[in-house]
Amino acid sequence: MTLRNNTALALVAGGLFGLQGAAVSAADLEFYFPVGVNAPAVETIQALTDEWAAANPQHNVKAVYAGNYEETTTKALTAAAAGDPPQVAVLLAIDIFTLIEEGAVLPISDIADSPEEQEWLAGFYDGFMNDTKFDGKIYSVPFQRSTPVFYYNKDAFREAGLDPEAPPKTWAEMIEMGKTLTKRDANGNVTQWGTRIPTLGLGGAWLFGGLVVSKGDVLSTETGTEARINTPATIASLEFLQQLSAEGVMAPGGISWGDTPKAFLEGQTASMWTSTGNLAFVNENATFDWGVGFLPGGDGPGAPVGGGNFYIFSNTTPEEQEAALDFIKFMTSADAAARWSIATGYVAPRPDTWETPVMKEYAERLPQALVALDQLPHAEREFATFQRAKVTQYLVEAIEGVVTGSKSAADAVTEAQEKADAVLKDYR
Amino acid sequence: MTRDLNRILIGTLALVLAGLWGLPFAYSVWTAFHPEIYAANFKWNAPITFGNFVEAWNSAPFALYFVNTLILITIVLVANFVLCTLVAYAFVRYRFRWAGFLFGLVMVQLLISPEILIVENYRTLSQIGLTDTIIGIALPYLTSAFGIFLLRQTFLTVPKSLDEAAQIEGAGAWRVLWTVYVPLARPIYLAYGLVMISFHWNNFLWPLIITNSPEVRPVTVGLSVFATVESGIEWSLVNAATLMTTAPLIIAFIIFQRQFVANFMRAGIK
Repeated sequence: MTLRNNTALALVAGGLFGLQGAAVSAADLEFYFPVGVNAPAVETIQALTDEWAAANPQHNVKAVYAGNYEETTTKALTAAAAGDPPQVAVLLAIDIFTLIEEGAVLPISDIADSPEEQEWLAGFYDGFMNDTKFDGKIYSVPFQRSTPVFYYNKDAFREAGLDPEAPPKTWAEMIEMGKTLTKRDANGNVTQWGTRIPTLGLGGAWLFGGLVVSKGDVLSTETGTEARINTPATIASLEFLQQLSAEGVMAPGGISWGDTPKAFLEGQTASMWTSTGNLAFVNENATFDWGVGFLPGGDGPGAPVGGGNFYIFSNTTPEEQEAALDFIKFMTSADAAARWSIATGYVAPRPDTWETPVMKEYAERLPQALVALDQLPHAEREFATFQRAKVTQYLVEAIEGVVTGSKSAADAVTEAQEKADAVLKDYR
Repeated sequence: MTRDLNRILIGTLALVLAGLWGLPFAYSVWTAFHPEIYAANFKWNAPITFGNFVEAWNSAPFALYFVNTLILITIVLVANFVLCTLVAYAFVRYRFRWAGFLFGLVMVQLLISPEILIVENYRTLSQIGLTDTIIGIALPYLTSAFGIFLLRQTFLTVPKSLDEAAQIEGAGAWRVLWTVYVPLARPIYLAYGLVMISFHWNNFLWPLIITNSPEVRPVTVGLSVFATVESGIEWSLVNAATLMTTAPLIIAFIIFQRQFVANFMRAGIK
């Protein structure tokens, strides 16, 4: 009864205030965002949010910094479980299955139902849309996306007599060039390794996905119930990692994600495989001439995508959902995405962003940023399943077991596959 | 002879352990005062800079966060001292029905980790409209089973004769508590207060989840902005921020060090 009265009132008000009142209805948005890159990110997000609020005075929006990705997801899920969800949040693309299982998010393709909105949704790079879908519906919109690329020290290439404009394209070239790039001092200790691929932790598992893609396979699929850990491609990829250290191209043992950019900047390695998120950091701190190339591949180029997407939460009103969608459209619009991309190093997710003058000027100043874009058609989804935290841990353990020499590649993947299947069989 | 040898050995061991223990701290001081390129690159003549502190200070509203942390800790500390003291006093001094059972219930709480209750606490606070407030952060921590247990055990060691002597002098229950029990438990209050302060100074996840506005958030939330794993961590910045946020605790400890140690000694001798 109250509801009907309210609707009637709204209709009357809409009638009184004409078009403006009828077309838009006020909504209070809470927007949770994580920060994974250096500090200006917070200011940029706040500035963009303020601009949307200024352009839409009928709505309110509050940008809430919520820690790193994991903490943001915890915060959003806690708030949702307590019946007080944010309307919109940026969370990991690979958390899609967890969020769906918790009933926390809505399919955005259902909210964006007009033809124009459908067209807008279709305007993102396919490489970034792969991991937004479940059961034929789109659940998230790409925002702060990254992909790993091959960073190399051109000065080191010149010194070793290699062409500084021709980084290795295949695994075989990587090993061959790596051998010439590795330098030893008089005592035989390595002072500069050929390359550095992080193999430990979640970062290691992410890059490993790229190796597998380059062998023509994927680690997981849109179903969320399939973990393809025990395949010829994964075994070949693990053997490549083993071979790199056996041939003395890469330091033996596990390699951490966090120390990799520093090792590259300090000349301890002639090249590294890491996220485009490091472009700005390397650009600011490198004391040598450096370049960026595709990740060397097994049977062809291949890379994983990663990063965060916008989600719209359930248990919200249709007005809030429409406002949230409008907010997302603004944040991914050409101008906003260009500023975000330049401030952070994330890869802008729509082609129109790269056509803007600021972005063109940026690409001219930092041509390395374009490599990730060219690599995108060869990129595939990051490892994601239901019970992601648990299942990914099995993959991480398998990779770490192999690189530290405690397991053979075949044993490690068999064991991880069994554990993953035991978890996932309940979801099939 | 052997005694001297022992002393030298123990002295060396203590020095080595203290050195090991102090290394991370020394490293963080080194990186905080030098430019980023010297973070893993030790040179005696590396230029000293305060730029990291300036940059860290400007990356988040730290002045506000410090005030919030101080308010939060004051609330939690005062509430704990008052509530835990009263509960412990009741358990020690009065014989009432179900006393053993009730104390058991309090003890059971020690087994429950606060993280499990996050969703439930959030729901409660959301219903009474206290999310995104400092009181909201503090509310689940206003009393603690550990504090009650600690004070009850201490109060039990107070000689009954002191209590009785005070009563003969005409002191009521409140006066006995205030003039007999509380002064004798002072070292315990100090130790417990220290533990509480360092716990709440460091508490991060709960304040992050329950608050949305910078106006009520504590320093730990400001500090977390620097954990930029995706773009490579800038150690000099992280360490400058860490030193800055822990400085009040470290300075307070240095100032009150003698009293702390003296009090702990007294607590131990008893």
